[in-house]
Amino acid sequence: MNDQLLAAVSQYGAPALFGIVAIAAVGVPLPITLLLIVAGSMISQGAMDLWWAIGAAGVGSILGDQAGYAIGRWGGPVIVRKLSGLLGKRVDLPSMEAKAKAWGGPGIFVTRWLVTALGPWINLASGTAGYPWPRFLFWDALGELVGAALYIFLGRFFSDRVIALQAVLGDLTWTLVALAVAIALGWQLWGYLRRLKE
Amino acid sequence: MGLAFLLALTATFVFAYRVGRQARHFRAESEPIRAWMSVPFIAHTHHVPPAELFAAIGVQPRQPHDRRSVRRLAHELNRPVPEVIAQLEHAIQQERRTGGPPR
Repeated sequence: MNDQLLAAVSQYGAPALFGIVAIAAVGVPLPITLLLIVAGSMISQGAMDLWWAIGAAGVGSILGDQAGYAIGRWGGPVIVRKLSGLLGKRVDLPSMEAKAKAWGGPGIFVTRWLVTALGPWINLASGTAGYPWPRFLFWDALGELVGAALYIFLGRFFSDRVIALQAVLGDLTWTLVALAVAIALGWQLWGYLRRLKE
Repeated sequence: MGLAFLLALTATFVFAYRVGRQARHFRAESEPIRAWMSVPFIAHTHHVPPAELFAAIGVQPRQPHDRRSVRRLAHELNRPVPEVIAQLEHAIQQERRTGGPPR
C-alpha cells in the first residue's frame, strides 16, 4: 500500500499529500516522513509548489490531529480502545494520559515532528485527559508546520537522495531520543548519588 | 536506574554509529529504483535525461509531465515490474558510460 501512496503523491501532488497525512494523523501507520521528503524532491524538480506542499501537509496533519483529539475528548476511553484495536495496537491509555499531562505543550510539539510514532496516541490521550483544546491546537499547529517545512526543505535540498535521506533521518531520530533519555536518566542518577553522599 | 542509563547511553552510540556510517555512503551509493517512482523522478535522482529512460522502456511520454509510476507503466506495457526496473538501470549505466550530458 505504501508504494501506491507514494505513487499517488508523485502523480497527483499536494491534494494526495493532504489526504494521506490527515489519515496518518488519526493513527494509521503510513510513511509520512518519506512522503514529505518525496514532496520536497518534487518541488526541486518543478513538479510541485513549495507553499502548496507545506500548506497541504501542515493543514492535513492538523485536521487529522484534531479528529484524534475529538475522538478522545467526546468518544472517551471506550471508543479510544475500540479505535486502537481497529488499528491493530493496544494502547495503555492511563500511561499515555500521564505522559500527555507530564509533557504538556512541548510534548505535543515534539511528537508532531520528532517522535512521530507517539503523535496519534498523544492526540487521543490529550482528548481523554481533557487537555485544553486552544492550547492543544496551538502546540499541534506549531509542531505540524515545523515538521512539514523541515522534511520538505530537507527533501528539496537532497532531492536526488530521498531513500538514503530517509534512512539517515530514521536513525538520527532514534539517536536524539536515546540521547534525551540518557541525559534525563543521567541527571536523576547524579542527583541520587549527590543525596547519598550528603 | 544505573542500568537504564547505561542502556540509553549504549543505544545512543549504536544509533549515532549507524547515522555516521550512512552519512559516509550518502553521496557514494546510487539511489535504488522503486516501483512507486515516476520516470522523471528516477531521471532526476540519477542525473540522466528522462527522454533517454522513456525511450529505453519503449514508452512515449505524455505531455507536459508524465508522472506515471514504474508499476503503472509496467502494467500498461504488460511486463513485470522487475524487468522494467532492470531496463531502466541498464539505461542509466549506459548513459553514464557514454558520458551523456549531466542534468
